[in-house]
Amino acid sequence: MSFLDSLMAGLALVGNVEAFLALGIGVAIGVVGGAIPGMSATMAVALTLPFTFTMTPITGILLLLGVYKGGIFGGSIPAILIKTPGTPASSATVLDGYPMAEKGEAGRALGMALWASCTADLISNLALILFAGWLASFALSFRPPEFFTLILFSLTIIAGVSGNSLLRGALSALLGLLLATVGLDLIYGTNRFTFGDPNLMGGLNFIAVLIGLFAIPEILSMVWNPGAHDGQARSLGKNWVTFADYRKSFKSIVRGSMIGVFLGSIPGIGAAPSAFLSYSEARRKSPDRDNFGKGEVEGVAAAEAGNNGVAGATLIPLLALGVPGDVITAIIVGAFMIHGLQPGPMMFVMNVDIIYGLFIGLIVSSVFLFLVGSVAIRGFRLVADIPRAVLFPAVLILCVYGVYAVNNNLFDVGVMFAMGWVGFMMARYDVPAAPFLIAFILGPLLEDNFRQAMLMSGGSPAILFSSPITWFFWALTGITVAAIIRAGLRAARGETLPGLPAKPVQTSED
Amino acid sequence: MTDKVLQMRLGITALLAAIILLVYGIPNWVSAPSNVPKIVLSPLFWPEVLAWLTGLAGLGLILFSWRDKGVATEDRDPAAPDSGARGRSGDTPRHAYLRLAAMAVLMIVMMWLMPRLGMVWTAMIGFLVTALLMQPRIPISTLVAAIAVPLVLYAFFAHVAGVAIPQGQFVRLP
Repeated sequence: MSFLDSLMAGLALVGNVEAFLALGIGVAIGVVGGAIPGMSATMAVALTLPFTFTMTPITGILLLLGVYKGGIFGGSIPAILIKTPGTPASSATVLDGYPMAEKGEAGRALGMALWASCTADLISNLALILFAGWLASFALSFRPPEFFTLILFSLTIIAGVSGNSLLRGALSALLGLLLATVGLDLIYGTNRFTFGDPNLMGGLNFIAVLIGLFAIPEILSMVWNPGAHDGQARSLGKNWVTFADYRKSFKSIVRGSMIGVFLGSIPGIGAAPSAFLSYSEARRKSPDRDNFGKGEVEGVAAAEAGNNGVAGATLIPLLALGVPGDVITAIIVGAFMIHGLQPGPMMFVMNVDIIYGLFIGLIVSSVFLFLVGSVAIRGFRLVADIPRAVLFPAVLILCVYGVYAVNNNLFDVGVMFAMGWVGFMMARYDVPAAPFLIAFILGPLLEDNFRQAMLMSGGSPAILFSSPITWFFWALTGITVAAIIRAGLRAARGETLPGLPAKPVQTSED
Repeated sequence: MTDKVLQMRLGITALLAAIILLVYGIPNWVSAPSNVPKIVLSPLFWPEVLAWLTGLAGLGLILFSWRDKGVATEDRDPAAPDSGARGRSGDTPRHAYLRLAAMAVLMIVMMWLMPRLGMVWTAMIGFLVTALLMQPRIPISTLVAAIAVPLVLYAFFAHVAGVAIPQGQFVRLP
C-alpha cells in the first residue's frame, strides 16, 4: 500500500464527526483533568478509559489521545496560577510561570504556555509520523530474542529513571513482573498463583490494576490529608501574550520541542527531564538569562515546549515497537488491547488505516488544544473551586463503575481496591509506580518472547546473543545500568545536573 | 523517618517476600507438568527467577541503607499529615490513620454490599462516607452529588454502554 493509499484509508476512518468530536471532548477532559489540583493527566486518561469500551477502536483511542494531550497542557494552568503543577512535567513551568503570576502577568504566562505547547505538540506529532513508520519497518525483522532484549532494555531504563533510586525502581518492576505471572501458564496452561479461584485464571485485570495504582492512591492521600492541594488562584491580569513574545521565544520553543522529541522517544525518560533540560538550555542561550526564575516569558515557553514535545514522541516506541514509554502510553496500550489490537510493527502492516487515522487525529489535536486551551485558561477558577469533598468521592464511584464495566465482574473492583492500597504504600515508601505498571503490561510479552526464544534454540541461552540487534540492546542495557549507577553515586555526593533542581517541585501526581 | 530506615524496611520486606515465594509460594501455588524437557521452559522457571531477583534487590537495598547517611525524608511527602503540613486545624497523625482505617473498612463494606444492595445504592453510601472523611460536615451540594453521580453513571453504563450493573435484592432501577 502506497503512502497516499494509507493516508486515504486513515482519512476514511477518521473523516467523520464522531471521531473529531471524541478528540475535541478528549482534549477538553484532559485540560480540565490536568488543571484540577489533585487530579492528573494520568488519572484523567485512566478514568476515561472505561468510556471507550463501546466506541470503535479509532474513536476510543483518539478520545484517550485527546485526554493525554489536553492533560499535559492542563497541568501548566495550576502550575502558573497556584504554584501546584498538575503533572510532574509542569514543575519546570512553575519556575517562571508563578513569578509572572505574582507580577500580575498570569494571562501572558498562560498564553505563552498554550502557544508553546501547541507548537511543540505539532512538531512532536510530525516527528512521530516521520519516525514511527521507519522504526516499525526496521522492527519487522525482530524475532523473539530481539524482542526479549528490547523489552529488557525498556524495563531497565524505565525502572532506572522513574524514581530516585535504581533499586527501588527495579523492585517496583520486579513486583509488576511477578504480578503478571498470575493466571494460567502461557505454554502449558497450568495454574500459577490462582489459588483455585477461576477469577484469577485469566490473570489480574489490567484496567483494575492501573486504576487501582493511579486513581485510588490519590483518594487515599486526600483522606490521609484533606488539606492537600489547597491553593489560592492568582488573577489572570491585564497583559496577554503577543506575537512579539512568541517570536522572541521561538528558538527556545523549537529547541525544547526537539529535546522533547528526542527524550520522549526513549522509553521511560518522560516529560519532566525534558522540560527541565529545555528550560536549562533556554536559560544558557538566552540574552535575558538573568531574568530566568524571576518571571521570564521565554522560560515558560521553553519549559512547556520541552514538556509537550514529548507527547507525540512517546507514541513512537508504542506504535513502532509495542513498548509504552510512560504510564499514560501504557494506559493507551490497554485501550488498544480492549479493542483487540496489539501495537507494534505488525500494526503498520495489518492496521495501517488505524495508524494513519491516528496520525491525522494527532495533527488535528494540536488545533483542538489551542481552541480548548484558550477557553480553559479563562475558566480555570471554575474547576479550581470544585470542592474536594465532591470531586474525590465522585472519582471513587467512577472508578468502581468503570472497573466493573470491563468484565461485569465485582472481583475486579476488589482487585482495584487492593491495588489502590499497594499504590498508596508504594508512594509512602518512595517506590515509583510507573515501572510496576509497565512491567505488569510487558511481563507476559517478556516471558513469552523468552520462552519462544528458548523453544527455538532447544533451551540454549546463546540465542539471546545471536544477532547484532540483540548485542545492540544488551549494550544499551549495560550502558543504561552503568549511567544510572553513576548518576546515583553523583547524587549521593550531592551533585546535581545543570538546570535540574536539587529537589523536585511537589506536584499533584507525586 | 529517615531514608536509611525507609530503605532498610523496603529491603527486609523484599527479602522476606522472596524467601517466602521460593520456599513456600512457588512450590505450592505454581504447578508444572512433570514432562517439561528443559528447565527454562517450565512454568516454575520465570517466577523463580523473579523471586531470586527480588531477593537480590532487597539485599541491595539493605546494603545501600548501611551506606546511607540517614538524611531525614520528612519533607519528601508533604501530603502526609505527620510531615508538618497539617490538613485541618488540630489534625494529628492519629486522626489521619483513623481516617485511613475507616476508608479500608468502607472498601470492604462496599464489596460486601454491592451484590446485596446494588451498585447504585452502595455507591451513594460510599460517596457520602468518603466525603465525610474529607470534611466533617456535608453541605447540600455534596448530598446532591452523592445521589446524582451514581445515578448518572448508572444511566450511562446500563443504558448507553449496555453493562449489567448489579441491582441488588431490594430496590431495582429501570
